[in-house]
Amino acid sequence: MDNQQYAELFLTESRENVSAVNTALLELERDATGPSASASVDVIFRAVHTIKGMGATMGFATVAELAHELETVLDRIRRNELAIDADLMDVLFRSADALELAVEAAVVGPVGEATPAEVVTELRGLAVDANTATPWTARAPNGEGVLVRIRLAPNTPLRGVRAFLIVQAVGKLGTVSIVEPSLEQLQADDFEDDFAIRVVSAATHDEIEKVIRKAGDVADVRFGEDPTERATPLENTVVEADRPAALDARRSGGDRRAAARSIRIDVRRLDALMNLVGELVIARGRLSQLADELGDPALEETVSQSSRLVTEIRDQITASRMVPVSQVFDRFPRMVRDAARGVGKEIDFIVEGKGIELDRSMLDELGDSIVHLLRNAIDHGIERPDARLEAGKSATGRLVLSATRDRSAVVIKVSDDGRGIDRAKVLDRAKRDGIVDQKKTELDESELVRILARPGFSTADKVTGLSGRGVGVDAVYTRVRALGGAMDIRSSPGKGTTMILRLPLTLAIVRAALARVANETYAIPLAHVSETIELEPDILRTVKGSEVLLVRDEVLPLLRLRSLVGLEAYQASTAIDLEQVVVIDVGDRRAALVIDELTGQEEIVVKQYDAVRGGLPFFAGATILGDGTPALIVDVSSLI
Amino acid sequence: MSQTVLICDDAIFMRTMVGDILSQAGFEIVGEAETGVQAVEKYQQLKPDLVTMDIVMPDMGGIDAVREICKTDPNAKILMCSAMGQQALVVEAIQAGAKDFIVKPFQPGRVLEAVQRVLG
Repeated sequence: MDNQQYAELFLTESRENVSAVNTALLELERDATGPSASASVDVIFRAVHTIKGMGATMGFATVAELAHELETVLDRIRRNELAIDADLMDVLFRSADALELAVEAAVVGPVGEATPAEVVTELRGLAVDANTATPWTARAPNGEGVLVRIRLAPNTPLRGVRAFLIVQAVGKLGTVSIVEPSLEQLQADDFEDDFAIRVVSAATHDEIEKVIRKAGDVADVRFGEDPTERATPLENTVVEADRPAALDARRSGGDRRAAARSIRIDVRRLDALMNLVGELVIARGRLSQLADELGDPALEETVSQSSRLVTEIRDQITASRMVPVSQVFDRFPRMVRDAARGVGKEIDFIVEGKGIELDRSMLDELGDSIVHLLRNAIDHGIERPDARLEAGKSATGRLVLSATRDRSAVVIKVSDDGRGIDRAKVLDRAKRDGIVDQKKTELDESELVRILARPGFSTADKVTGLSGRGVGVDAVYTRVRALGGAMDIRSSPGKGTTMILRLPLTLAIVRAALARVANETYAIPLAHVSETIELEPDILRTVKGSEVLLVRDEVLPLLRLRSLVGLEAYQASTAIDLEQVVVIDVGDRRAALVIDELTGQEEIVVKQYDAVRGGLPFFAGATILGDGTPALIVDVSSLI
Repeated sequence: MSQTVLICDDAIFMRTMVGDILSQAGFEIVGEAETGVQAVEKYQQLKPDLVTMDIVMPDMGGIDAVREICKTDPNAKILMCSAMGQQALVVEAIQAGAKDFIVKPFQPGRVLEAVQRVLG
């Protein structure tokens, strides 16, 4: 059986079922005793049962095993043999998480270090009723030391050996004076599921029980002469003592655990909070300026304290808006598979960096753009198997979607090993459309981006269902720009194409350098500022009629903000002896931007504005500065 | 750093099974041995965090291999791989120094539980 063919189906359907389980679990938690409880349990049971069946069919033993154990416990809940309490809910939530992980691990590969083993053990513990159902069968032997009764979990493999291991483990704490039934009988498998020992040891009951449970496959441990007399304090203490540590370990182990503990919040609320915090940040800026002017130490201290709090609130809200890119990326494997089949191509699709986090609304906005890029790669980039073989490549193309963190930006790349962008064709088409000089013979990377990003530009010979309608790269480019990001293209003929999207972590608040030109202030996002220097005359050069700057042997194209914004003629109110230069960069493209002077750094709140028709194209938004004056935000990527 | 494993079994099928289960759980399979003698040699050479040891192997059985390994490293974390009906042999292996056991046919959950017990 071609498992790969079904793996995606299995994954998609299992994910749906896991999310059905989670939804029903949340309902069950809200209303454990009400009329809807049994319906919720039924929903969970059916979903788990489906996953079990699919898992077993696919040969995913871990999934099937875990689902089976969970099913057993759910069945007991259905039959009212287990009361639904917080502890049980906790185990159920964790089981759902483990099931999700097992499903992902089975298809996509290992995700994190979580193994379902612990949960399976817990479920097995819940599957049998230790208090009432099973009687203790082993005779209580007389002798020296404390009596300990031990029951093995049902279906323990090689029970005799397990019993032997347990006795051996307890022996390390002291002396096991007697075993009932005898060790020989135990090894010969001649016993029910429980046996009794007497231990002479200085260890506490807690310690003994811990050692016994650690030896594995232990369902229950009792101390004392009368098995019906429950040694209550001990039993509970051990379990309780173990639990928090185990939980913490799991929490730190993965954010999926945290996800189960979370509540759902409408994104609009977070947006509203973010806006309010934005206003708060502006007000804070004004407040600290005023406090500076007044110079009252008490006021300054209070202001700086509330200022720190505002920063913290902002960080918390920003963090609460962050979600792993997997939330969007996870839809792609199926889409790529279907799309590749539609055009008769074989594609190995690899997703990297699924855990990287990005602002939720940014991620939502980006989804379509990434789909565009993937489709472009599938439709135009990667060749048909025969063409690939002819070109000396493997028949199966490779498509990689990756996310990485780079300073305060997230970089998303879509790379294929296809034919690369045909520059001659692009140039040809661009000439026909009159976009470039007719005499031009070559296109460099930045020109390529600029041409491909033109609305409606396409070199596709024919339109398919996927792309070629000329709404590919330009749509992506516009979207990415609107999000305050930048796009780059790397393409080499015959080797493939990489589209690079560079995005800020969050939309709303950025740190910016404030640049004064004439009497106006502009904000330059610090994420794109690599250094600032003074414009000494000796580093200024002219190459082919354009001004360049020589910075440590690097030649940077020089841009004058004053000319860009059309303020050449205006005199500054304060005279300047030496203009300043901000070295700006986007990815590995760099340039020098000349300004009058830097007036400071500030956290600014980005306000989108509707660009005026015919207005200057290199602003990414506007902001209100701490002193209450408005400033335009320079869109660095459009300058370079 | 992932933990390292040496897998000892004369059947490729079994080595692959155990290897898949453990590597999927994040372990690094650093070596495989087909005989008891190889197992002892590779243990000295690789010093793995964990060994899975079949009981019946050519030229030196798993139990003798456990004994040899534990002579030089009493703390070696060895997990016996047993078939049903090998109770007595597994007990002998544990007396020789093996820390726990897993039973064929392998269930991933059970295998990982045993591994966690041995390493934890």
